[in-house]
Amino acid sequence: MRPLDLTEKSDKKVKIYFEGKELEAYEGEKLSVALLANEVYWLTTSTEGRKRGAFTFGPVPMKVNGVRGVDARKTRVTEGMKVERQSYPEFHEEPVIEGKETTQFVVDVAVIGGGPAGIGATLELQEDLTVALIEEKGWLGGDMWLKSSKQEGFNERARKAVEELTRNIKEDVRVFLGASALGVFDKGEYFLVPVVKESSLIEIMAKRVVLATGAVDSIMLFENNDMPGIFRRDFALEVMNVWEVAPGWNVAVTGSRAEEVIQELERWGIDYVYIPNVKRAEGEEKVEKVVDMNGNEYKVDALIFADGRRPDINPITQAGGKITFRRGYYGPIIDEKHRIREGIYVAGSAVSIKSHYANYLEGRLVGAYILREFGFDAEPCIYEEKLKEYEPESLPIPRIPLEKFNLEDVQICGCDVSLKKVDDVIRRGITDLQIIKRLTHLAMGYCQGRYCLFNGALVVSQRTGKKLGEIDLPVARSPIKNVRMGVLARR
Amino acid sequence: MLPEKSEVVVIGGGIVGVAIAHELAKRGIDVTVLEKRFIGSGSTFRCGTGIRQQFNDEANVRVMKRSVELWEKYSREYNFSFSQTGYLFLLYDEGEVETFKRNIKIQNKFGVPTRLITPEEAKEIVPLLDISEVIAASWNPTDGKADPFEATTAFAIKAKEYGAKLLEYTEVKGFIIENGEIKGVKTNRGIIKTGIVVNATNAWAKLINAMAGIRLKIPIEPYKHQAVITQPIKRGTINPMVISFKYGHAYLTQTFHGGIIGGIGYEVGPTYDLTPTYEFLREVSYYFTKIIPALKNLLILRTWAGYYAKTPDSNPAIGKIDELSDYYIAAGFSGHGFMMAPAVGEMIADLITRGKTNLPIEWYDPYRFERGELRTAALQMG
Repeated sequence: MRPLDLTEKSDKKVKIYFEGKELEAYEGEKLSVALLANEVYWLTTSTEGRKRGAFTFGPVPMKVNGVRGVDARKTRVTEGMKVERQSYPEFHEEPVIEGKETTQFVVDVAVIGGGPAGIGATLELQEDLTVALIEEKGWLGGDMWLKSSKQEGFNERARKAVEELTRNIKEDVRVFLGASALGVFDKGEYFLVPVVKESSLIEIMAKRVVLATGAVDSIMLFENNDMPGIFRRDFALEVMNVWEVAPGWNVAVTGSRAEEVIQELERWGIDYVYIPNVKRAEGEEKVEKVVDMNGNEYKVDALIFADGRRPDINPITQAGGKITFRRGYYGPIIDEKHRIREGIYVAGSAVSIKSHYANYLEGRLVGAYILREFGFDAEPCIYEEKLKEYEPESLPIPRIPLEKFNLEDVQICGCDVSLKKVDDVIRRGITDLQIIKRLTHLAMGYCQGRYCLFNGALVVSQRTGKKLGEIDLPVARSPIKNVRMGVLARR
Repeated sequence: MLPEKSEVVVIGGGIVGVAIAHELAKRGIDVTVLEKRFIGSGSTFRCGTGIRQQFNDEANVRVMKRSVELWEKYSREYNFSFSQTGYLFLLYDEGEVETFKRNIKIQNKFGVPTRLITPEEAKEIVPLLDISEVIAASWNPTDGKADPFEATTAFAIKAKEYGAKLLEYTEVKGFIIENGEIKGVKTNRGIIKTGIVVNATNAWAKLINAMAGIRLKIPIEPYKHQAVITQPIKRGTINPMVISFKYGHAYLTQTFHGGIIGGIGYEVGPTYDLTPTYEFLREVSYYFTKIIPALKNLLILRTWAGYYAKTPDSNPAIGKIDELSDYYIAAGFSGHGFMMAPAVGEMIADLITRGKTNLPIEWYDPYRFERGELRTAALQMG
């Protein structure tokens, strides 16, 4: 077993080479995970020279078999693979990305997102309508697939419940795994949802669209929150429960939703310390020490933060939806049928934060509305009634201790934007996020603000006294997920 | 607070409005800019950075030569980034070469040092170029690029130092006119008394003209043009603005931040809609990777759209409208207003303070449309 393996793996063993050193990996494993299992955390270096890992915000370009700019999160290991570190701006000058023939599919409904809501919508729709289910990850189940705990409503352990649900998906549903939707484009007669899977472009033409696009983990602000060994909740759960690799054997946990992580650590027998108020992470190549606001120091291998998820508003605003601030987060404005506009429905944690079961019900509900629209029998009111039992959660609005931090060391955005850069602009009197974006590059990088815009709004609110609901967020533009130009270039 | 009165009111706080106010304030004129959103928020905010002197007629070449002098001067004095990394037009057939030889002759005659270069020379300037189909290129090393928002902000700060008032979130709603004379401008924040107005609203120019009751036909229409940005790569990879008419009227260069920015000729309109389209995403990828195949590997981070305020001959309307005293227009820049702005600021300030200018402003005569005297169309990129 490798140093951080939680279980003995039965997959085929392969050898890979990191910076010339031979390491053990398993076929099908993600490169970032295979390196973690071997205790390699530092994978890449930002433009301004900050060391970075793969498990919080920011891209992870690496040199793989001589090709620069390969995404370590999306690459699977193969026998003999040679892997080296590189810095963000390095790229490969020989064109290696070649687009394949574009394929097209016509369906009644395109469901974007394969979590509980997307699965719920698909199950509801599949008897009477043709459906395409598009999921960016390599698995169905969304966030629920990352957990082992028993889920209320399903009355089963999370992953088992997902397996049962997906077993009921009919064969004629077109399921696209590992496929990113670039946006929703209104063509009048239909909606076009272009999807990229590896180097292939798939154009899905659908009469209706369901955005079951989920929520994203909030990024916590503390010093060196971008360094190798920092784990966002979802990445920590993924390495443990999907890949059975530990983030470390002795980890620190922080954030208002730490409990969710702690129960998984306990299940795997990983030592942890809970630190309610992290000030700083430190270490040479990875986290070695965490310091709290009272100056207490903890020696650890990794730090996991879990501070609540907030709806991913990018797919909503790109598709033409409007957003509002409620319960501590921004979410879509929907009509009585859960539509952000004519023909585009939204369900799950893309709407509000609630249990997986409630999100699943909401998927079914939206499916039922669509069935009705197409003239089929359906009972949306049953789901509506059930859904009423689940009051969406409220998230506390964090208070950033701006005065206590060395702001230069706190990263607000994955692309070398420090909290200091943003705070300085705001203190000059600039409070419009459009302008802040332009002056600091906040939200102009790889994630299009997914992981940083909320915190940007938070700093504005804190410095000006303006309420978050009064702060306008810039809308997302296509493509809502990064796509290599070569994939789109083929005619 | 809205000032009670101002000698000159400039409507529009984009690069052109701000450059005009800057020049007027510098000459001691009491000037106020009214901007309905924030300074630099319109097409300036969405603009593609390029500054070139490679035009195809005397007036534009002379105006742009002056403009580049001002870009050099002010970027140095006000400390904003302007770099003369050149403009490179890739040429693919004899017809194109002939046209560009003519253009270069005009440019050279008025002091712009453009040269026809070989494909190999072009590749030395941009090593990643695919020159397999290129037969020559038109190259002027004194053209360049600047960050539009940074530049506009720099001019705005200086204009204020010279005494200009720049009012944001102040929208013009109408005019107070008595006997063919402007007495004031009505805004959402009250009335400001003035006798002189400059319409520098480009894509919105016809709305302001209509509010002023201008009957003269000045056809300016908003067209949607789109742009793309890739992930940042190492600086200095693509220094000049690279143009290819053959491949979709494409223009592309590298920003100071490191991303590859650019657009193509794909035009939608007239419209005020600004939603980026899927068709653009496909087309721009096809054309860009034809010009520089290495771009295939780069991630597209975002697309967006902005207006080209177009006139029938792709030249702006700059001048005084006599039917209403004193009403000036500087609008309809058809995709190349950012680069012209410093010179336009000078021309309008000259008109207001001296009644004439040494730059060939007649070319942009607002009356030419009504008289049916369209100019040779100015070279439009994207």
